[in-house]
Amino acid sequence: MIEETPRIHYSAKEKNEIFHGEFMPHINSMYNFAYRLTLDGDDSKDLVQDTYLKAFRFIESFQRGTNAKAWLFRILKNSFINDYRKKSKEPNKVDYQEVETYYNSEDVDRQITPDLRVEALKDMIGDEISNALNSLDVDFRTVIILCDLEGFKYEEMAKILDIPIGTVRSRLHRARQLLKEKLSTYAKSMGYKSTSL
Amino acid sequence: MSTPSTPNPFLHDGRKSTCIEMLQVILDGEATPDQKAYFKEHMDLCMPCFKGYELDMAIKQLVQSKCCGGDAPADLVEQIRAQVSQKIS
Repeated sequence: MIEETPRIHYSAKEKNEIFHGEFMPHINSMYNFAYRLTLDGDDSKDLVQDTYLKAFRFIESFQRGTNAKAWLFRILKNSFINDYRKKSKEPNKVDYQEVETYYNSEDVDRQITPDLRVEALKDMIGDEISNALNSLDVDFRTVIILCDLEGFKYEEMAKILDIPIGTVRSRLHRARQLLKEKLSTYAKSMGYKSTSL
Repeated sequence: MSTPSTPNPFLHDGRKSTCIEMLQVILDGEATPDQKAYFKEHMDLCMPCFKGYELDMAIKQLVQSKCCGGDAPADLVEQIRAQVSQKIS
């Protein structure tokens, strides 16, 4: 994206305004995203810093008033893949063929719901939810964060992640299912009885 | 799948969406006002959808309240500001 966009000349004052006025307001979301990707405090700080410095270096590729948050998230995600993913505490890669096959099969039409009740969720503290989210494969974790925490739309997520909208949709569906399974396991460990929906 | 009396806004190429497909559009924040209204009416007639919606929304709200992470470390914010100010000047 950075390479393809026509460059716009900004004065030093304008660069300052863009950086502090349009980029910096997203730093809390960026830090949380980085932390959820790397699962490491130091790595997430480095990743956010690298991202912001990169955003400043390519500020002339950014058009004022457009979606700065999506642009920054995309840079952060690419930096993570290129520089951090190899060394992060990452579980095995997902077999997307399997995911797509699952989503496109007739199984998806069945109400596949792990045994979990709303009452059990109410007793869960932050750590359990956070651990369940962190335990998902990074690609599933990412779509949950982008959609549920940051409120990005399919189209924005597709651009941030460089994947088709259909894949965003199927990945989100599978991610929600997996998260539900993790929470169901926690609920059982807390002594809640299984109840089918 | 029980169907409300109002026109179905979930039609794709003439095909009706399944319960799971409708629920996903709602959960993912992609539903139009018409789709939201239709699904709300549909839930009154479809218990699996009602229960699925209740559970999935509870999880979504839990993620939103427990995983937002708070503020970025102050030293990180200062470091970035300082480095960029240096480059601008």
